[in-house]
Formats: sequence, structure tokens, C-alpha cells
Amino acid sequence: MNSLEENLRAIVGREQLLTDAGELLVYECDGLTHYKARPRAVVFPRSTEEVSEVVRTVTRAGVSFAPRGAGTGLSGGALALNEGVVIELARMRRLLKIDASNRLAIVETGLVNAQLSRAAAPFGLHYAPDPSSQTTCTIGGNIAENAGGIHCLKYGVTVDHVLAARVVLADGEVVDLRSAGAGGEGFDLLGVFVGSEGTFGIATEATLKLTPLPAAVRTLLADFRDVDDASRAVSAIIASGLIPAALEMIDGATIRAVEASVFTAGLPTDAGAALLVELDGLAAGLDAEAERAESICLQHGARGVRRAADERERGRLWAARKGAFGAMGRITPDLMLQDAVVPRSRLPEVLAAIYRTGEKFRLRVANVFHAGDGNLHPYICFDARDPDEVERVHEASREMMETCVRAGGTITGEHGVGMDKSQYLPLVFSADDMEAMLRVRAAFDPSGLCNSCKIIPVARGCGEARVVATRGSRDAVTQPHESAGTQQQPRDDERWEAMFSNSTAVNPSQTSATDEASSERFSASNKAEPIVATSQRLSVGASLQQRLSGIVGDDNVSLARVGESCEAVAVAPASFEEACEVLRLASREDWKVLPVGGRTWLDAGGTPRRVDVLIETRLMTRLVEHEPADLVATAEAGMTLDAFNATLLPARQWLPLDPPDDGRATLGGITATGLAGAHACVYGPPRAFVLGMRVALADGRIIKAGGRVVKNVAGYDLCKLFTGSYGTLGLILELTFKLRPRPAREATALVRATDYHALLAAARSLPHTHFLPVALELLSPRMARAVAPAHNDAQEDADGYALLARFAGTQESVAAQLAQAREHFGRAHGIRSVETHADDAHIWRTLAAVPLQHDNAAPLIWRAGVLPTELGPLLEAYERGVVESVREPFWHAGVADGRLRVVETFETDTETTISRLERLRTAARASGGSLVLERAAPEVKSTWAALNSHATVSSRLMRRIKQQLDPRDTFSTARVLEPEP
Amino acid sequence: MAEKILRLSGALGAEEDKLLACVHCGLCLEACPTYVQTGDENDSPRGRIYLMRAVAEERLGADSRAFTRHIDRCLGCRACESACPAGVEYGQLLEAARSDIAQRGTPEGWTSRTLRFLLRHVWLHPARLRFALASARALRDTGLARLALKLRIARLVSERAEFALMLLDSSSPSDAIKRSRASVTSRTESSAHDVSQHALLFEGCVMEGLFARVNRATARVLEANGCRTSAPREQVCCGALHAHAGDLEGARTLARRNVEAFDVQTQDTIVTNAGGCGAMLVSYGHLLRDDPRYAARAAAFSRRVRDISQQLESTGIRRGAPLDEARATYDAACHLLYGQRAAVAPVEMLRAVSGIEFVPLEQSDVCCGGAGVYNLLEPELSKRVLDEKLAHIKATGAQILATGNPGCHMQIGAGARGAGLPLSICHPVELLDESYRRAGVYKTVTGDE
Repeated sequence: MNSLEENLRAIVGREQLLTDAGELLVYECDGLTHYKARPRAVVFPRSTEEVSEVVRTVTRAGVSFAPRGAGTGLSGGALALNEGVVIELARMRRLLKIDASNRLAIVETGLVNAQLSRAAAPFGLHYAPDPSSQTTCTIGGNIAENAGGIHCLKYGVTVDHVLAARVVLADGEVVDLRSAGAGGEGFDLLGVFVGSEGTFGIATEATLKLTPLPAAVRTLLADFRDVDDASRAVSAIIASGLIPAALEMIDGATIRAVEASVFTAGLPTDAGAALLVELDGLAAGLDAEAERAESICLQHGARGVRRAADERERGRLWAARKGAFGAMGRITPDLMLQDAVVPRSRLPEVLAAIYRTGEKFRLRVANVFHAGDGNLHPYICFDARDPDEVERVHEASREMMETCVRAGGTITGEHGVGMDKSQYLPLVFSADDMEAMLRVRAAFDPSGLCNSCKIIPVARGCGEARVVATRGSRDAVTQPHESAGTQQQPRDDERWEAMFSNSTAVNPSQTSATDEASSERFSASNKAEPIVATSQRLSVGASLQQRLSGIVGDDNVSLARVGESCEAVAVAPASFEEACEVLRLASREDWKVLPVGGRTWLDAGGTPRRVDVLIETRLMTRLVEHEPADLVATAEAGMTLDAFNATLLPARQWLPLDPPDDGRATLGGITATGLAGAHACVYGPPRAFVLGMRVALADGRIIKAGGRVVKNVAGYDLCKLFTGSYGTLGLILELTFKLRPRPAREATALVRATDYHALLAAARSLPHTHFLPVALELLSPRMARAVAPAHNDAQEDADGYALLARFAGTQESVAAQLAQAREHFGRAHGIRSVETHADDAHIWRTLAAVPLQHDNAAPLIWRAGVLPTELGPLLEAYERGVVESVREPFWHAGVADGRLRVVETFETDTETTISRLERLRTAARASGGSLVLERAAPEVKSTWAALNSHATVSSRLMRRIKQQLDPRDTFSTARVLEPEP
Repeated sequence: MAEKILRLSGALGAEEDKLLACVHCGLCLEACPTYVQTGDENDSPRGRIYLMRAVAEERLGADSRAFTRHIDRCLGCRACESACPAGVEYGQLLEAARSDIAQRGTPEGWTSRTLRFLLRHVWLHPARLRFALASARALRDTGLARLALKLRIARLVSERAEFALMLLDSSSPSDAIKRSRASVTSRTESSAHDVSQHALLFEGCVMEGLFARVNRATARVLEANGCRTSAPREQVCCGALHAHAGDLEGARTLARRNVEAFDVQTQDTIVTNAGGCGAMLVSYGHLLRDDPRYAARAAAFSRRVRDISQQLESTGIRRGAPLDEARATYDAACHLLYGQRAAVAPVEMLRAVSGIEFVPLEQSDVCCGGAGVYNLLEPELSKRVLDEKLAHIKATGAQILATGNPGCHMQIGAGARGAGLPLSICHPVELLDESYRRAGVYKTVTGDE
């Protein structure tokens, strides 16, 4: 008996380990049976500790492993290649906690998706991501794939619903990753982890967001003669400003298969296509929206529109939709379920091309898909016993992928890359893009053993894995192995293999030598450089200036000050090429670079150790593309948010972000800081809107991350990493955002009270069946005076706190909510007055601008993020500590998301301030929250930084990422990561 | 293309189309009680089908440990069929798989060997079977079984033997019904119901041997609702135990006899009151599909089969007198639910009984772990499934549990006894029968049972 198996048995026990060849057979494939690889063992750990022990043991033996949940994945992602070990999490299925008041759940990741929603239902909540396999797929699998689902059109995909994850890394270390979305600390490790397909580590526990069940739902079934009419109706619905909770298309062939199955739901079997449209929200105004959707369908050729009469009929309709994949088993022995996303406006032509491809290769093709997202799922029917047919399936798949990519789409929206799609990845990403992805992977898993050879195969080991995976079975699929893309050179994967210590192709000592060299340089620059070396810098500055003028012209180079004492040269490239040339020069000369946008938040975060060049984006302000029917727009990073939204206004669309901004904030700056404002509790923070970006790396190479479609799981989502990284990883050049339709009406109820507890209580008791505020913000008295001065003379109002409740939507629903809000707050205890503001834009603009308008020389700005129920106690702690030492502060707090930003004037000594902040941070962290110092006097910042310099597993991960993407530490030294002690 | 298709082997090979219908989507996993318990794909319907396909393709031996172990561990509840969008007929695949295993040699373990002996040499011979069941009844009714349990004699043999006795003992008439019967005061109303229909009653071997009272109650209740019944004399065991144990030939022998026995009054519905039998009878058409003499007759036979609850749906259910106040719940027998698609009808029977408060049972659609003789063959996994069922039953606070299959009846009865849970188990028709008796419906129909 092999010693690895013995060691594993010693950890988990005999009953939790499979080694019998026959029993291992069923683990040779997942939901996509074309790829097969029998593992050497399957382990069933029962706790995070066991997972950690197992992983450590497996990697120490130099063996690769693959995590697995329910094995419903459709990309071959859960296969343990190279005779690896499957780590099966099905026995870790405990629901640890439902916290209804904070709308979250803590679960073990083997828990089945639908069971969470079932358990949350008595609290009026549910877990929103609902992939079609939700009755069996696990949360862990959903996290690995960044699973979508039918209702993600309105509610977002898995990454938008994961608040934290406990992750076991390839070396067995356990790390808690938290969402940086609501203003956590450091890089958004969680954001990039979600969707990493098990190649970064194994999530064993997760904290998930629960969403209130909608108060009212209308489900429509529209019946069309053909797919073309139906897809035009889809575009029209989206362009009309409706945001359906779900918008699904089922074509005729699929309808007939489903209707023959146990999931029959009375779909029209003679239709060419049917649309399932679901609208949900408050009852007020919902019928009007349903009528609008109905009339759009009828205008676009629907033969009829039926409304689900009750919850049972609705349930049947959705069960029919979700059972479609399996139901196809009735009409075909084997099924290739494809997954690709195209811009919604291109659906008609792309669908036509896909059916044509089917005809060309003599294959039956059916379609059932998330039309509202443009996420196609062509089903190719075939018989795996016929090798010729199998070959044609592969050719057809490739042609379909090429069609989708040509239309501006991507190769996978929710199934992941796994084994199946890695061959298509070069269609959307260049070798440089993929190398950047691999660098991040190497930061998470330097061994390369964690679900190895998936997504982006590296060199020899994976080439062999592929052959093993497809050999020895009659279902085997011959793999076209010639290099697929135009960019990828044969030697890329060999070069890449050197990034991982467990590679077979390159001598391990060589590999680590390279790594160490760069690591040395990285830490050296951190340690050795003094904070500022003014006189020396200035003389360098003059020659610097000259050489930069050579690239961008004299007019676009100037001298600038950074912070208190650091002098640097500011350069404003007018094009990406110029920017890259500047970077290449900087890289050659080892200059330190600081990307600069609107300069609104430049002094926030850690103090840069040394800055030689400021790269300003102010000349890169073009709107590159805006297609209203796609609800997507692309712009250069230097464009301001205001200008961007002004451009979108005629289409009644916008990017609903409200970070600290007085009109100067640029798209690049907002993304780089990743800051959330009052509306983030409903609309989401910047990370939820960034679909894609182009970024210049330190060596002047431009990489692309993400894409231009609303759902995209091709490769790692590096957008998450760059968002909120404060320009420490690269220079953001261009951004593609998901947009929202502008609401027809917005209005704010302003409630005043002398005690903020009364306002908190009144805000919390708003029943979600009647209110869907898009912002719910509590203001300190000084902030209240700045934002909306009281119109009466009462001193209590002038000194009082205020609550802003903003409603947005149709005329009808906003009017209903305002009237009910008046009544609700009027009745609430301790409320002094309720005003309604129909024209409320200035209120929210002012609120966002306050942090930038400090009239004092020494601002102290910090933010905290806590559970909503902990906001009251945090404010109490804050107010207790603040009374004597600080002048009346501005602060505003998100009641629904537990976000607090405080703007103070720094008047006391550093020591008092630091100890006060530390106490508050301890309080915030006690319940899983965070506190981040944003702007402060240099000595406060540096003292605070010293407190943060201890290394944790997550800070080590961040350091490795920084080192991988910016090995010479060119960008924004120390703005996010403090040097190691 | 046809010549490229490999020929698959064995009974499973003959079911190739059914195997291919599975597209490996995995929607069945959570419907499977054994997968929910173990989390092992081998213990899931998809995994078992994968193993079956491997055996049919000769990638895996039918006598391999993986195949026999995990096919044996299947409860055969067929809950997966209701979750399967592709409509894979898993129950039939399972029978084929077990047949392939049975062809390969003698089973391991004396329990399995005893079972096979009994199925061959007792169950196929009506006289021997009647004698065996009469002996069991004697053991039960004389109180010997209960005494042995009380004195813990059975445990000396084995836990399994003890559980077997508990199963037997829990087939006794329900306390709740016995008690309430004692409090009936006779009334003088006569039954004035029109008897306009006729049906044939399938009595079943275990039902007639240990639950004859349920068969009588079935006949009375049907008659009270306008449907007179008779029971063909030549009927035999339905063959379900044989089919589930892989003895398809034994099952076919019995099926042919039943087809013959019921080939009188060919328009009449065949009524059963045991989910396990009913599901088997419904599948005679499939079982005998390759028998040229019987194929058509068997298919016609299968179409005539109804559970008592389904038959009452067509006659309507008259009201009786209220029973003593009690809380009652219903556990769906898998083969009634999945084999015969009787989901609502049995509950409607309970709802027609006044006096008792009906509370739904969480996960009543999940197997109890009885599964014929599974509880004796796979005691460990069976117990885990049973414990979950008992926890849900306890949560209802019910004093009475009704279920429509003798295996489930005894399994839950034995489990409740072991767990010290005070619970009366009965068939829904027994409650209805009792309420009719109280209402005096039977005064003129039948004097005694």
C-alpha cells in the first residue's frame, strides 16, 4: 500500500477514503462526461482542519489534488488529473448559522445551494444565486465556478453574494478572506478567489449574503413563432429600462423535450421559442411593469403571453426551465452543453449563426439560456459511440465559440474553463493576459498542485494530463491540440511552468532562484529607501522631466508635490502607447510611479515610500463605446464619473456609484480605490460594476482583464484585484462598466431626531415588503446641517441627527413608498420631523463631496465596515470616545450595510488619536468588521502603519500577488501594503 | 453507424437505452437517501448508473466489490426517478443490475444466502409460504415474539435477529385502533350506499399473512363507497422481493401466475393496498415484455392496477363518525409515491377521517430505510436513514402514523419501538374503516371480520 494513502487514512479514517479502483471510477468525470481522469484516491474530510491536513499531506508528496462538491460542473473542473487526489466536500454540509437580522448565513461549503434557501425561507430570506442544478450543487462548487443562475440578471452572480470564505491553501494554511467590496482592508482576495475553479485553494466555510424574498412576483410566459422574434424582444425589454429578475429563452426543441419529462409545465409545444420573464419587487407598480413587458413581447411578434396564476404554476415553469439539460437526455444519448456570452444586442445574429453551425456539422442543436444576460447555452446532441460525430461536435463547439467571441462576447459565462475551455481561452486572452493570470495563481499556489492543469495548462505535465484524461474510454474525445490562438507561442506554457515550484520541466532550484531575486529586490526597495529624499530627488527630477517630455511633449510634464514633502514629475500621456512608453522608461530606470486620476483621494491610504513619476490619466478621457441595449459602456480611465454619467443620460442609463466625489473623481480613480458610497447597499460597490479593463503593468505591457459582457468566468477575474488596489498593481487605462437604467423617479425622505438610536430603530423596522430604499443613511448633526439644513428655527433640529431614505423606481412605486415612509416614520418613536424631497440630487451630491471639502488643514478621515446590527454599538463607542477630544465630526453611516465614514478635524495628539482608533478597530474587528484609516496627518499615518505591519496569511498572499505582478515594486509603493517588519 | 456501436452485455446491456438516457446532470443526487447519508457518489443514482454502464461496457466486473457493494446499498426507493428530467427508469435498471450480480455467483453473507433460499424455495410455493407466514403470525399473536424481545433473548443471537423480531411484532394491529374499537357503541343505521362498481383485490403474501385485517378493511371501505370486491383465488406473491433481489426469473414466474389469476373480469380494476406490491404489478408489462405469450396480457394487467387510495379517488370518500382525538401524520411509501405516483390520494384518505388532526410530515417523500429486506441486509445504512425519519416523525408530535406499505409499517414500528417513541402505526384505510364502523356503516354489510 502506498504511503500517501496510508497517511491520508491516518488523518480521516478508513471510512472517509476511497481507493478501490471500481469505486474511483465514478469520480473520473463530472457533469461533462467527455473528459475522464480516474483519481488515485477520494478523500472525504469532515472539517477545515482535516482539509488542511489532507492538502498538506498530498502536496508534500508532490501529488496534485482537485476539490469536488456535487460533481455537477460542466467544464471538467472537478477532475483530479495526473492521478491526483479528489478532495470531496460532500460530508461538510452543515449550515452553521443563519443571522436573519444581518441577512447572512455561515455554511460549510458542502451544503447544497437549495437547502440554504429552504432554511432561510422562514425568515423571509433566500440565497439569490440559483444555478439550474441548485437542488444538488454545493455552495463550494458555486464559489469555485462563480456560478450564475436564472435570477442573476437582477441579483448578480455568486461573487456578489459571498461575504467571506475560509480557505485552505495548497500548503495547508488556512486563511479567512473577506469581501473588500464594502471597504475592507487591502486587495480583494475574496473577489479573485471566487471563480478560481479550485486552483487557488479550497473554500471550506463561507459567509453568504441572504436576500429578502420579493414581496411580489409576476412571471410571464411569452410564446414566439421563432427564436429571432424572441431575441429581439429580449433586447427591447432590456433597452426599455425594465430590470427583470429573470429573462430566459427556451427554443422549440427544448420545449418539446421538457414537456415530455416529469417537469412538464404546459409550455407551448408548437412554439419556435418561448420567453420566461419574471419581474419582482414591491407590489406597487409591478403590474404596470408586467404589462409593459407583455406589450413589448406582443409588439415583437409574440403569439400570446400567459401569466403564472399562482406560486405553484410559477414553480412548475421554473422547474421546467431548470430541468431542461437533463430532459435533453430523452432525445439524445449524449449532450454537449455549451456556454458562452454575447452582448444582448447581438443575440439574433449570433443565434442564427449557431443554428447554422449545427446544420453545417450535421448536428442537432437546441438552445435554452439566460437571454437577459446574453448567456447562451447551445445544447449539441450527439452519440459518443460515433467517433466521427464526436469530432464534429468539437469542430462545431469551436466554431460557436469563435462566433460568440467575434460578436464581442466570451467563451464562458458561468460554467467555467476547467478542462473543456482552456483550448478556447486564447480566443479571448493574449499570452500576456494569461501570464498575468498565472502569476496570480502562482501567488496563491506556488506549488502548482492545486487543481493543476485546469484553466491555463502549463507545459509538459498538463500535456500528458490531457492525454490521460481522454484515453481509455469509448467516450474519449480526441483533443485538437495544436495551438489555438494566434498569439500563443508554443513556448509560452513552458516558460509559464517555471512559475510553479512543482513543475517537471524546469529545475526547481532555478525557478525559486528567479523568484527570490525578484523578492529580494521587492523587499529591498521597501526597507532601504527612506520615506523621502528631497534634495537628491530634485536633481534627478530635472533629467527625468526632460526624458519624459520626449515621450509626451513639454506641455504634459510638470513638477508636482506628493503629500507633504515628496517632489516628483507629473506626466500626462495622451494615449495608451505613451503611457506604456513612460512605464517602460520608468521600469528601465527603476523610477517609482504613482497613477493619478482626479487627485481627490491621492493622499488616502499608506504614504508612498518614494515617488518619482506621477502618471496622470487626465488626457485619456474618451468614451470608447456605449450600446444602450447592452447596458454596457467602455471609457478611458481619465474620464470623470460626472462626464461619464452625463454621456449616458440621453439613453436613460447610468453608473450608480457615489464614492467621495466633488465632480473630479475619475473612473480610473474610483475603480482603483474601489470605494463604496451610500447607494452601494443596493446597487453595489465599484467591483460589482467593472466588467473589464485594460491595465498597463509595470513593464509597459498592456493586459486585458474581464471583458465586455455582463457575465464572464473566462480565466481569473483580475478586475477584482485591480479594483481597490490603489494603483499598486498597475495603471488602469480603460474600463468597461455594467450600467443600470436610470429610475424614472427618485425621492428622499429626510427624518430628524435628537437621538440617533430612534432613527436606527425606525430605519430597521421598515418592512421590506413595502420599502425598497436604494440608500438608507444616518447622518451626524454636522453632516445633516451641511447636507440639508433645517428650515425651522428649532435648535433641536439644528443639533439633531438625520436619516435619509431614498427611493427610486417607477413614479407609482416611489410615490407609494414616500407616502408610506411618511406614515411609518411619523408613527415611530422619538422622531421629530419627516420631510420629503422630490428633487433630491443635491442632497446626495453634497453628502459625497463632504469628505473632500474639509476646510481644515489636518483632516482625519476613516471608514469602518461592520455588521448592520453592530453599527449602533460602534457609533456609541465612537461618540463616547470623541466628546472631549474632537470637534464636532461629520459622519454618515449606511444602516443597511453597516458602513461608516467619519470626517474629523485632527486636533489632538497622535497618541490619543491612535489609541482611540485602535479601540474602535478592536470593537469593529470583534464582530468581523474592519476599520481603515483613509486620510490623516503623516505622523498619524505612519504610527498607524507601524501597528499594521505584522504579517498575516492574507497579507502574505497580498505581498506575493504584488511581487508577481509588480516585481520591482514600481507602482505606488506602500499605498496598500506596509513593508514587512 | 450501427456497426460502430458496441454490443453491451448482460441484463444491463439489454437496457442500454435506459442507461444512455442518463446525461450525468446530477439532479438525482439529493433525492437519494443513501447519497444524502454518505456523500459518496457511488451511493448515488448517478454513480450507480455509471457503475452499471461500466459493467455493461465491461470496464468493470459485475462481481467487482464496487458494483456489488453499491448496488446492494441501493434502497430501491426510486425517489431519483421523480427528480430525473431525462426520465431514466432507474427501478428497472436496478433490477437488471441485481440480476447481473445474481448471475455471477452466490452472494456473500448468510443473510443474503438465506434470503435467496427463502425466495426460491418458500416464496415460489404458495402452500409453503402460507405455512411460513402462519408460523410467523403464531409467533407474533401468542406474544412469544414480544416476550423474546422483553427478555432480550433475541439479542443473544444478533442485533439483526432482534430487529427482525421487532419488525414482526410491529405488524400487530395498532393500539390506537384497538382502543378506539373498544369504545364503539353499536348504532342501528344501515348502509344505504349504492354498489355500482366491482374490483378485484390483490391480497399480497405478507399482507394476507400478517395484515389480513387491512385486506378486510380495504374490502369493507371500498364496498361502503360503492365498489364491491372479490379476490381471485389463484393469485400469488407479486414477485417484488424476487425482482429486487435480482431473481428476475422468479419474479416472472409469479407474474405469469398472477396475470392468469386476474384474467377473469378483464374490465375490472385491480386494487392493491401495499405500495410495494402495487409498484411491482404496475411493472409487469416491462417485466414480461420479451415473453411473446404474456407481453400483451401483462401490459393490460399493469394498466388495471390502482392503489386503494387511487380507487377511492374515483369513487369518492364518504364520511364516517369521528375517531378519538389524536394527531396523525402520513409517511409516503416510496413505491406508492414513485412507483404508482400516488402522492395526494393517500393523504386525502386521512383527511376524510374526522376527529383526528392531520399534520404533514417533513420529508415524508424520503425512504424510511425499510426497503423490503434492506433493513436486514444493510442494517447500518438502513438505520441511519431510519433515524432521520424518526426524528422528523417525533417533530410532528403525532400519535398515529399511517403508511400504505407493510414494509414501511414494520420498519417505522420497529424503529419507534427501539427509540422509545410512542407511536401507533396503521394503514390509512384502517382509520377510515374504523370511522365507518363507528358510524354504523357496516351494520348490514358485515357482522364481523
